[in-house]
Amino acid sequence: MADAIFLALSVITIGSAIAALELRSLIYGSIALMGTLGGIAGFFFLLDSPFVALFQLAVYVGSIAVLILFTVMLVKRELIFKKIEDKRRKFAGIGLMLVTMIALGSVFLDSGIKTITTDEPPVDFRDIGTDFVTYYWPALILMGLILAGSVTGALVLAKREDVENDQRTS
Amino acid sequence: MSVIAPNFKLSEFIKSLLDNAFWGVLLMVLVGIPAVMMVLFFIEMPVINGELLTPFLALTWLADPSRILPVVHAFMATDMFRVMAFPGFGFAALLAAGTIFVERKMLAKLQLRVGPFYCGKIEGILQLMGDGLKLISKEIIIPAKADKPLFWAAPVIFVGAAAAFVALIPVAPGWVVADVDLGLLGVFAVIGFFPIITILSAWSANSKFPFIGGIRALFQMVSFEIPLILSLLGVVILTGTLNLSEIAASQSSFPWIVFLPIGAIVFFITMLAELERIPFDLPEAESEIVAGWLTELSGMMYGLVQLGTYLKLYAFAALFVVLFLGGWNGPMIVPPFPAEILTDGIVMGPITAKIPGLPLFTQEMLNGTLWFVLKTVGVIFFILLPRGVFPRIRIDMLLNLGWTKLIGLAFVNIFIALGLLYAGVLGPGGLQ
Repeated sequence: MADAIFLALSVITIGSAIAALELRSLIYGSIALMGTLGGIAGFFFLLDSPFVALFQLAVYVGSIAVLILFTVMLVKRELIFKKIEDKRRKFAGIGLMLVTMIALGSVFLDSGIKTITTDEPPVDFRDIGTDFVTYYWPALILMGLILAGSVTGALVLAKREDVENDQRTS
Repeated sequence: MSVIAPNFKLSEFIKSLLDNAFWGVLLMVLVGIPAVMMVLFFIEMPVINGELLTPFLALTWLADPSRILPVVHAFMATDMFRVMAFPGFGFAALLAAGTIFVERKMLAKLQLRVGPFYCGKIEGILQLMGDGLKLISKEIIIPAKADKPLFWAAPVIFVGAAAAFVALIPVAPGWVVADVDLGLLGVFAVIGFFPIITILSAWSANSKFPFIGGIRALFQMVSFEIPLILSLLGVVILTGTLNLSEIAASQSSFPWIVFLPIGAIVFFITMLAELERIPFDLPEAESEIVAGWLTELSGMMYGLVQLGTYLKLYAFAALFVVLFLGGWNGPMIVPPFPAEILTDGIVMGPITAKIPGLPLFTQEMLNGTLWFVLKTVGVIFFILLPRGVFPRIRIDMLLNLGWTKLIGLAFVNIFIALGLLYAGVLGPGGLQ
């Protein structure tokens, strides 16, 4: 059962990754990208870490894909890009991607990852939280500072002064 | 009133009904029953209690309550019943339908109108059915330059996402479709899908008004998602769990709104914005951009989006109840099931009917459902009420509210929760 789900997820993830690269329509390309990110969330579900999977869904599919969609919709691509339609380039791109993936996969398989077997239960998200506030507290503080800095920066950048009616030069 | 069918004659209508019935009976007798008998001839029927199970016997058993009740009982324990009927789609759709009717009637009363009145004689109670029939029978018009696959898929996915949201809501102890350990995170993930569906539906219509409405919806939903998530973190800090059933069960002595009123208020406001309700209904501002992102949808596609919207409304109200108002907790007011029916059976004059498997629902479940529904209906009422009172606000006021004020208040709420936890008022050694 798990093997079948793994195969289906792999097909979805790799297929939509290829589609995201190769589709001419930018909107469909970003939908395919959503499929890829959702497939990765599925892998996390298979790996017994629903916490990461749900964050993958909420952050990557729910926010970053929306950002990409939004950006794509504001672009008029005819004015910016010059279309170069070429079958050979397309298949060369897919081939290059597959070669890279197969090479990476063989490196992983060769590294002895198959011999690792573990019976340990999946890590609870509460343990991760406990680790973060005890042993890894500097990392947590650093992350908090970076996030606070970026949020403050975004708010400062987005802030604007409205010109009131009586300030307008007539 | 205008006449809908000018050539309508009651006698001809009755004649057509009788015609249809005649042909139906004739075909069943001449074709249907012989065909069933021929098929049955080749099937070896099981023998139950020494009796051969014929279709006649099966129908007799179905009419016997003492035999059918255990079957119903077993069916109610299945996942299918949960998904389709009780805590799932059927229950939510029923509440959503009630919401639509109450909304129209209540708004009418607020504005000194009568509202739905003719359909169904008594205060227009059949108006909803009439609207549904109208939507089903209407033609679905697709704009010529629309992106057809996306345009068709968007309403269906919208209802699907709303149903996924409904599936996470616990209604009574143990009565939840998907009792996941990370239910609240699942809620956040599902909420994140709505802006995508909205903007894709708006873009695929290839029309001005839907696109403007879709962009507005995207702005609004994305900017209010952040205070929504932050305002719920206070409850997570105090309960130490993300499971919605456990959060509801943790409020047996007092609801969290007592300690986290600011979080509840922030969540309520963000809920109004996520649901695109007045005063935040900019995505479908009917006086500016026709119907916003719903403009090009017609027929049952519009009906599906409406169904999804009201399912989402129910789910958000239920989430508010589960997180802040104590979920199913409340005084036990449902009387226990009479014990003499279980031991002696129902005595009706000379007849005594002993019916096994009778308490279909436990007292706890009935009481929980009652309190849950009461609270949810109250929250839905408060969601509907602003529509009769407030005007629509501008988009810059909306974004300003979301990004500065509500996020600040949500952080205040988190600090209150942390303070309660560290002062020992709540949590280990405290009240709970």
